[in-house]
Amino acid sequence: MPEHTVKAFSEELDALANEIARMGGLAEQAVIDSIAAVVRRDTRLANEIIERDAQIDREQREVERRAIKLMALRHPFAADLRQVLTAWRISGDLERIGDLAKNIAKRTLVLNQSDPIQITKGIERMGKIAAFQLKTVLDSYARGDVQAALSVWMHDEDIDAHYNSLFRELLTYMMEDPRTISPCAHLLFVAKNIERIGDHCTNIAEMVHYLVTGEEMSAERPRAKDDPTPVDPSSAAGV
Amino acid sequence: MSPHAEAERGSGGLAVPQARAAAGVVIDGGTKIAARDVSVFYGDKQALFDVSIDIPDRSVTALIGPSGCGKTTFLRCINRMNDTIEGARVSGVIEIEGKDIYQKSVDPVVLRARVGMVFQKPNPFPKSIYENVAYGPRIHGLARSKSDMDVIVESALKRAGLWEEVKDRLTAAGTGLSGGQQQRLVIARAVAVNPDVILMDEPCSALDPIATAKIEELIDELRENFCIVIVTHSMAQAARVSQRTAFFHMGSLVETGPTEEIFTNPRDNRTQDYITGRFG
Repeated sequence: MPEHTVKAFSEELDALANEIARMGGLAEQAVIDSIAAVVRRDTRLANEIIERDAQIDREQREVERRAIKLMALRHPFAADLRQVLTAWRISGDLERIGDLAKNIAKRTLVLNQSDPIQITKGIERMGKIAAFQLKTVLDSYARGDVQAALSVWMHDEDIDAHYNSLFRELLTYMMEDPRTISPCAHLLFVAKNIERIGDHCTNIAEMVHYLVTGEEMSAERPRAKDDPTPVDPSSAAGV
Repeated sequence: MSPHAEAERGSGGLAVPQARAAAGVVIDGGTKIAARDVSVFYGDKQALFDVSIDIPDRSVTALIGPSGCGKTTFLRCINRMNDTIEGARVSGVIEIEGKDIYQKSVDPVVLRARVGMVFQKPNPFPKSIYENVAYGPRIHGLARSKSDMDVIVESALKRAGLWEEVKDRLTAAGTGLSGGQQQRLVIARAVAVNPDVILMDEPCSALDPIATAKIEELIDELRENFCIVIVTHSMAQAARVSQRTAFFHMGSLVETGPTEEIFTNPRDNRTQDYITGRFG
């Protein structure tokens, strides 16, 4: 797309996109580190993630500030308008992803006070998929790549499937040995948080689609068929 | 030409003559103005190229585009204002309610009563406020008596949102009003002859933001009863007042569609570049 006649307008839009890229980088690192912390039982890393979350929150406020300024002073239309609106919404998803990673770190601190549970391999696999989804969707935003965004949207199913199998596995552990109920419950929330990170990635994918095409994603997203939690208990899985 | 714009054009076909629906009931009363392959030449120079568009009744259609794009030329075709320009030639068909306005049998003077026009600079007659509004109805014989005329003048001034401000000084000169009031007086004058269509050529460009807001509010009220076509250089104004937007560029109609769509997701790159301020 050609430059704006008013160059400062283009520069402000670029700055907004850069802010999202920076924020995305922070959120991505938080997700990767939180999975590593829970798998390696790394208390020091977990504390670090908790501290770093404030930075993501600051970046989000910065995105909002820039978006408000652009709307008030530049009155963006068409693709420019979509860029401002999607940056606003993506920053909200990234902020939530940061919170979920922080929550995983907090649960890591609790988990480290009891004996290890063998299920962490499954958590690691699931976390890697979620981190990859996040990386892919952030790349798709940076490049305006609708196909990549669509693939993220389609692959969320994989994370859901992992979550469902972890859910079942943790149930059996808890039934076998009631002493593991407390750590298993925390791990269940960790898994749920990762699943929610995946959901935020699909939100971002939808935003990328709207940003580039101007159309909402209309098709129904494929869902894992054996979802054990038809009533979404996610409201309890937050911070 | 984008496929979208093509589809837009194909949809209406030539207008089917429609009885005017009962006042105030229908908001969008179907196609009011149908233009097909309208071209305009000034001498050897072609200013407008094969413009085809359906303009709905009881709604506001904004014509936007850079200077010299043909939007005002097209607007002036709708009440045959181009007839008054030496060497101007119009080809193609423009129908209002299914009737070709360029047929020999159509009297341009009568046509211009049905298709009122409001210009960039308010142009009240150097007469009283009352006479400014009464002039049209009088020459068209719309009032049988003085009291008839009083009713017409009052109702036109009310519809133009000016009555409360001028009712105690109807004999004062129209030219003594403020710019915004003058513009509303001119709109009252257009409305007084009960037109089918009101054309507006940048009606707010000489007004301050408050007067502009009053005119925009007025436009929004008038669209319940009239087909309004407005040329504006202000994107924001087009976005605020119109239900449909048509983008002109270099004498061609590039794209037309619901205003919301044009301003969030235009199909054509030229539209996109223009409304986002990217034309060099």
